[in-house]
Amino acid sequence: MCAIAGLLFKKARPAHFPMTTGSALTEILDATLHRGPDSAGWALYRPPLEGELRMRFFIDANGDAQKEIAAVHTALEAQGATVLDGEVLGCTYGVRVGFAGDVLALTRAIERRVRLVSIGASLDIIKDVGQPYALAPRYAIHEFDGGHGIAHIRLATESGVHPDTAHPFWACGFADVATVHNGQLTNYWIMRRRLERRGMVFQTENDTELIAVYLAYRMSRGADLEEALRTSLEELDGTYSYLVATRDAIGYAKDKLAAKPMVKYEDEDLIAISSEEVGLNRLFPGRALATSEPAPLTYGLWRRAA
Amino acid sequence: MESIDLATMTIRTANEVIRGHGAAHQDVQIFNPDAKHYLCVGLTNPIRVRIRGSAGYFCGGLTDGPRIEVQNNVSWGVGDNMLAGSIVVGGNAGAIAGEAMRGGEIVIKGNMGSRAGQVMKKGTLCCAGDSSFMAGYMMYGGRMIILGDSGEKVGEDMAGGAIFVGGRVTSLGSDARLEAPTEEELEEIRTFLARHGLPMPDRFKKIVCAGGQLTYPTPEPRLRSLPHPRFTGSRADYWNEKVVEDNRVKAHIGRYRIRGYGAARPVPHLTDLAFRKDLSGAGTDPAAIAGVHLRTFIGGKHGARALDLSMPVMIAPMSYGALSGRMKRALGIASRLSGISENTGEGGMYAYERAEARQLIAQCLSGRFGWNIHDMKRADGLELYISQGAKPGLGGQLMASKLTPEIAAMRGIPAGMDLRSPSRHPDVLGGDDLIMKIEELREAVGWRLPVSLKLGAGRTRDDIKIALKDGLDFVELDGLQGGTGAAGNEVAEYVGIPTLAALMEALEGLEEIDAKGQLPIVLMGGIQNGVDAAKALALGADAVGLGTAMLIAAGCIACMQCSVGNCVAGLATQKADHVARFDIERRALSMHRYLESIRRQLAAITAALGYDDVRGLNRNDLVALTPEAAAMTRLPYEPSAGQGR
Repeated sequence: MCAIAGLLFKKARPAHFPMTTGSALTEILDATLHRGPDSAGWALYRPPLEGELRMRFFIDANGDAQKEIAAVHTALEAQGATVLDGEVLGCTYGVRVGFAGDVLALTRAIERRVRLVSIGASLDIIKDVGQPYALAPRYAIHEFDGGHGIAHIRLATESGVHPDTAHPFWACGFADVATVHNGQLTNYWIMRRRLERRGMVFQTENDTELIAVYLAYRMSRGADLEEALRTSLEELDGTYSYLVATRDAIGYAKDKLAAKPMVKYEDEDLIAISSEEVGLNRLFPGRALATSEPAPLTYGLWRRAA
Repeated sequence: MESIDLATMTIRTANEVIRGHGAAHQDVQIFNPDAKHYLCVGLTNPIRVRIRGSAGYFCGGLTDGPRIEVQNNVSWGVGDNMLAGSIVVGGNAGAIAGEAMRGGEIVIKGNMGSRAGQVMKKGTLCCAGDSSFMAGYMMYGGRMIILGDSGEKVGEDMAGGAIFVGGRVTSLGSDARLEAPTEEELEEIRTFLARHGLPMPDRFKKIVCAGGQLTYPTPEPRLRSLPHPRFTGSRADYWNEKVVEDNRVKAHIGRYRIRGYGAARPVPHLTDLAFRKDLSGAGTDPAAIAGVHLRTFIGGKHGARALDLSMPVMIAPMSYGALSGRMKRALGIASRLSGISENTGEGGMYAYERAEARQLIAQCLSGRFGWNIHDMKRADGLELYISQGAKPGLGGQLMASKLTPEIAAMRGIPAGMDLRSPSRHPDVLGGDDLIMKIEELREAVGWRLPVSLKLGAGRTRDDIKIALKDGLDFVELDGLQGGTGAAGNEVAEYVGIPTLAALMEALEGLEEIDAKGQLPIVLMGGIQNGVDAAKALALGADAVGLGTAMLIAAGCIACMQCSVGNCVAGLATQKADHVARFDIERRALSMHRYLESIRRQLAAITAALGYDDVRGLNRNDLVALTPEAAAMTRLPYEPSAGQGR
């Protein structure tokens, strides 16, 4: 019940492309705003840090933010992570930490104590209740000018309208993996119980989180992302088009019913994805674009040039 | 040729301008379309429109006559429901190209997405490239030409028409079969392709309906009518006559049974509520009753012209098909005499009903039977049917015995089939698609008419939120007790959610998102009289809808066999001799008098509770008489408050 957006520059952003990566994602979302007026979010891939992690947490803007920030510091320090700096941004608290250990173990240790949004050397997920044009300035989205990112707007149908049910969802425990999704999973509870029995933890009842957790689980068992995308088509029932991003790639999977649209535009410089062609035309006004729709029951991965 | 630049003009304005040029027979070219949605929707003049770029959703939808050329791609639903004219697309088309077409031709030079031509009925849909899966899904007629390969399940559940595939047929759909095209057909295709400058493939495979699923094999036997007290209520035997009858019929036909009417199973209802105040004196003061304000406007929320009801009552949607033409006409008259609205139900607008009713809502269902731009423009409100209380989640049924050639022609489908309407819309698969469909409907009528949603109670708490967010003007909420012309017996009894529970879920759903009172709710499903209506309004409904009650007022004997088509009262039948028995004027006046009894009861109760406006009725006026009703409504349980019933 949503719209998805993705943008990947194969190399650097070409000089003739008229807007920043963050602005471009915001424009795609705004063009398809009718599909999701409740909340918006971006998974931004910032320059990767060496030996450090970017982490973002939700804090309650109306509650005791200082207490939650203190809890974040305590939880991280207990795991041997050094907080290098921290900054409150909207309803979130972003930190840069020095940490050389295992991210999955760190996540397991802290996820019940704090409200994690994302962890990655590069990934930074920003999401909130509201519409893209209103949120983008508050979160300085236009300043983001990295090589790729994915984004989402949501029309809440089943779960509530809160920042934590907004997309993108981080693949909890796996640095730099984020997912956005349009559609619904019909075997959500079956899959959730299956994953929970194997130790995976869920923060919401949002089905997109399940996709992220599913991919994380598969990768924790040694599958690569492409393999995880492939098996998701067999194991996740419902109708969906979803995008998953990693430090250097964007992948997609589309179910066999293909009732949820996804349109792609590709040229020598970039790949752009939107739920509707009208989103892609925001990046190239006045041009008749040669677009394509990924076929039903397919998946794929587009990588940035090394 | 006039020019329109969409870089500087909104779609809404552009469509008005295009229609203006259409009226003046001026051709139009559109610059910077940038894949925007709803281009040329609702255009009914035979002008030429050139779109210099790509178009978005529903390009050329709900049109009659224009010749549209799109230079590049189109998104979902190109030519949705078009009646005549042509659309030529230079690039690719998204899903459901040519959905519900009723004439004209669509040519797609590139590939087309899934479910092309879903529920199409006439005209030609041609794709020069490949088609994705389920082309011709549930198609009822017309011709589809695919020069490239067809995806999986081509012709799935088709009931009529033909699909010609020049390339590979990946797989055939359920109830579809291959047959050899005739020379005549090939010649027609050759001419068609030559006209559009497309190459003729060496050979064509033709896919048609196999016909195995069009009718039920063994018909249900005709039965005596059983009086309700013999099988429902606390005094009925466990193995009562109805149960025995049901068992025997199933033993004969070997499948589920279809029947009409509403649920017979008792569930907590408005009769289990009472007014807190002793109303024994209600109705004794004529002056107080006369002074009660009942007039209700509904549907103006987004700037459309609201329905103007003399009291918060509507006639529930019931189709011409399920009901006889004479009954539909009588309903139109009764609604006019009582100053309330009538509803077409499924299957299109019956001209006589339109002429009689002062306010008529046109209902759009999944099969799009009879749906067209001209009737939309003649309507006073548009309604998208999602489901109904008697059979939420399932499509309508109209048995062959009632599907006369006239009704089949109006619906655009082959006569003589046991018609099973699709259970979902081709173009509404979620809340995001729904909003786009609603906007298409609004564009088609220049945002002039209210657009409502008919919701059978299911996941009402979620559905009502979606309806609010998707900008509907009001919702018709239909509970388990709602009647139907035909449904599986077990479905009618056990699938839905009681009307009372549905209303509570809807109200609470809106409150959960701080939207209390922001979406008017018309409650239907077992409303029997003005007392029920008053209780529904007090609980939080904005108006009520009457279906079964109207039928009874018009002479229905409650035999529950509406689906069979032998209605002795001439209401729910198409048999000429039975229909002839139905006296339109007399029955219209009966229904009118019944409606006026509701008006009087509503006014009397409102006045007795101390209000001069029916909108004064509120929850605090009510108590529950049973623990079940108390639990359902969260009203105080006061079993002794019987006087107010």
